[in-house]
Amino acid sequence: MLKRVLAPLLTLLLLAGVGYAIYISVTGQANTKAAADKLDAVHEIKGVIGSEKEDFFRDPETVAALAKLNLKVTWDKSGSREIASIPNLASQYAFAFPSGVSAAEKIKRDQNKNPSVKKSAQAFFTPMVIASWKPIADILIANNIVKKKGDAYFILDMVALFDLITAEKRWTDLQDNQQYPTNKSILVVTSDVGKSNSAAMYLALASYILNNNAIVQNEAQIAPLLPKLASLFSRQGFAEGSTEVPFQDYLTMGMGKSPLVMIYESQFLREMNNNAISADMIPLYPEPTLFTKHIFIPFNADAEILADALANNPDLQKIAAKHGFRTTNAALFAKGKNIAGLQDLVNVIDAPSYEMLEAMINQISPAK
Amino acid sequence: MKFLKIIRITLLGILFASLVGFFGFLAYMAMNAENSEETANTSIPNSESVLKVLAGSELKDIEPMLEMIKSKTGVQLQMEYIGTLDGAEKLTSQPGLYDIAWFSHAKYLSLLQADKKLIQAQEKIGISPVIPAVKESLAKQWGWINNPEIAWSQIAEKVKAGQLNYAMTDPTASNSGFSTVMSVQAAFSNKGDAITAQDVDAEKLKIFFSGHSLTAGSSAFLSESYLQDQAKLGGIFNYESELLKLNRNPLLKEKLVLIYPKEGTVTADYPLILLNKEKSADYQKVVDYLKSAEFQTWMMTNTDRRPVNPAVAIGAQFPKGYLMDLPFPNNIATVNEILFAYLNDRRKPSHSFFVLDLSGSMQGDRIAALKEAMTNLTGDDISITGRFAQFRNREKITIITFSHVVMDTREFTIDKDGVVLKEVKNYVTDLSLGGGTAIYTALQTAYLQAEEARKADPNRFYSIVLMTDGENRDGISYEAFNEYYKKDIDYLAGIRTFPILFGDASPDEMQSLAALTGGKTFDSRKSSLSQAFKQIRGYQ
Repeated sequence: MLKRVLAPLLTLLLLAGVGYAIYISVTGQANTKAAADKLDAVHEIKGVIGSEKEDFFRDPETVAALAKLNLKVTWDKSGSREIASIPNLASQYAFAFPSGVSAAEKIKRDQNKNPSVKKSAQAFFTPMVIASWKPIADILIANNIVKKKGDAYFILDMVALFDLITAEKRWTDLQDNQQYPTNKSILVVTSDVGKSNSAAMYLALASYILNNNAIVQNEAQIAPLLPKLASLFSRQGFAEGSTEVPFQDYLTMGMGKSPLVMIYESQFLREMNNNAISADMIPLYPEPTLFTKHIFIPFNADAEILADALANNPDLQKIAAKHGFRTTNAALFAKGKNIAGLQDLVNVIDAPSYEMLEAMINQISPAK
Repeated sequence: MKFLKIIRITLLGILFASLVGFFGFLAYMAMNAENSEETANTSIPNSESVLKVLAGSELKDIEPMLEMIKSKTGVQLQMEYIGTLDGAEKLTSQPGLYDIAWFSHAKYLSLLQADKKLIQAQEKIGISPVIPAVKESLAKQWGWINNPEIAWSQIAEKVKAGQLNYAMTDPTASNSGFSTVMSVQAAFSNKGDAITAQDVDAEKLKIFFSGHSLTAGSSAFLSESYLQDQAKLGGIFNYESELLKLNRNPLLKEKLVLIYPKEGTVTADYPLILLNKEKSADYQKVVDYLKSAEFQTWMMTNTDRRPVNPAVAIGAQFPKGYLMDLPFPNNIATVNEILFAYLNDRRKPSHSFFVLDLSGSMQGDRIAALKEAMTNLTGDDISITGRFAQFRNREKITIITFSHVVMDTREFTIDKDGVVLKEVKNYVTDLSLGGGTAIYTALQTAYLQAEEARKADPNRFYSIVLMTDGENRDGISYEAFNEYYKKDIDYLAGIRTFPILFGDASPDEMQSLAALTGGKTFDSRKSSLSQAFKQIRGYQ
């Protein structure tokens, strides 16, 4: 009796097990199974993102991975600090995905009393690098500002570089500069510090070094640094609103416009995967450097599913690695195709608090 | 036993549900995939997407590709053309009219928009530096062929020595002139980073601009005028793309050698700018196509702009090596200060003749429009482009009014403090009408006076604006004028007439007049008399 009942049951069980196993292996989303169960139809959610993450969201692999979760994501892009100052952010968008802890902190604080704001997730992170060129690196090596690490990596001594910049040295002041004999000042090209996070990261780095290698803690420490900090940006002249534009200039207009450009490592690695990086383009790793964290802030339940997926879904993490982002899964990043990000970054500093960063930006941004 | 059975059934239930769920999911995915394929296939031909584009006038050369863009993206670009600064002002003063802007650069717009955030996104499409070019014989003589060491200061020396005069557009009307002025300013400041208006020795700039012998309000018109006047000119400042085109023109008598000054230049990067957020999906489709290898190759081959897509190998017409870029000011006040300093103090001053019809038919709205157009140039138009168009310090203005005869001739020399501007304004405000229309007698009067004036003071730009609202009824005929002009062409050439199409003036006759003198007609019927006068200022 028991046997007769049990036999077909076991067969069914076996079938089901195989089916389930196939399901798991096909979708690879064991972690978010619970989440997927919540959505029975495709939900479209629209957020506002930092421009450097657009390619990730546009990637057909990302679209497919999100479709498995029944999510369709659309977005507007904006400078990260601009995102933080959009009025009624949570009523316009389902989520915000800026770069940088400070922009995220501000958004969370502004939306503090808004019950729709859900738990945010630190989706990706990436160190700041300075996009440069082989001939430029050679000049900087000859002047003891860059040193090679192994065969492939170039480490930029930020203290030495800031000495040159604040002394208003020009490329013609350097030794062995035949490859770049321009009379232009030595400066790092950034985006607009009033609008964009990557420029704010440069400011954070500069303030640390000019404050004798210590994170600025209060207004009294900031005040004497302001003239030097302001000149890092004002002397550049025209600056673009978001990080992608100076990086596009780097890729398309070359060394004459952009000898040194402050970018995210992820941008560089992404273009490496797109085969847009030529042999003479190289990232310089500043020492010290800092990480930019890309924090995802959901404003509704659908976006919360996305937050969870970005932080935990191995498929999405794999795609993120392809786009050059580092995730919590370091092994994935290391294994990615063509990925040549420097693994053992030493001397990583923290950005100053949101208040300190804002105070500096407000005091050095050119009057509107 | 019973407990076990419950567990077993529950387990079975869960697994069964998963199984159903799994096949359901597969079916759903398959359906979904089909659906999305279907929409992808059908959406393009059926799409009615139209993007309204305000574009720089030099982008007219993209027109042959508009159909292709539409067939590849399903998006139709509805183009309208304008100068860079005019366009930036229009977009900031009247936001919401256009979905897309497409100019040679976005810097002026970025600075002008301030906190308005008009630019939602931008993607660079093509590259063309604005550079000098000199005739091959001069380049040989000076050792400038394949010489990477040429600096802006050496160009200035040749001008100072009287060995180089050149063509350049007006920097407030056209981006190639604008970029040249910004380059010269940056190069002469010798600063190495962002400049201010005061960073440069004004005398140095004055010497540089003293070589400016042919002006125009657009880069394409400058190339055409260069061909006409090439015998008298040594060089030209224009986009690399325009210069490469010019070098292939069969009418060009002597090849131009393109110079890439070692301090650098300002480079046009043609960003496609999204203004209307709602259209971001269509915008992206267009950007993807414009950056595709197919379009980039077409653009490089047909418009001589450098590609931005690294997959497209750069053509042999471009020299090897990188383009050095000069820094650009970081605020609108500095840019405008540089431009006003150029207009009022540094450029070669002009002597502008205005031949104005005061016949009876001008009564009512027409004379009111004429007075407004003229008083706008005395400072009534306070918009930024209105101020650029204003009569400039040191400029000479001759107003010749006519009906059946020449009624009056009055010359003004504009001063720094604007006292004479008020006199011009009063004079224009008090104009009253007569009868009859003697267009060509009045125009001949203008030429006789301009010829005399140029003999006495050759270091000015001479030009004539002709505004009439009807047919010639009195005085000499068009044919007689034609004869006079052709007979005296050696003395008159270079003094261009810019006729305005207005009221019942004969468009054909006005066009032949423009062609005869190397000028250009301006159609006020499509915009307004004020607009036409303002545009002509770019050619004076």
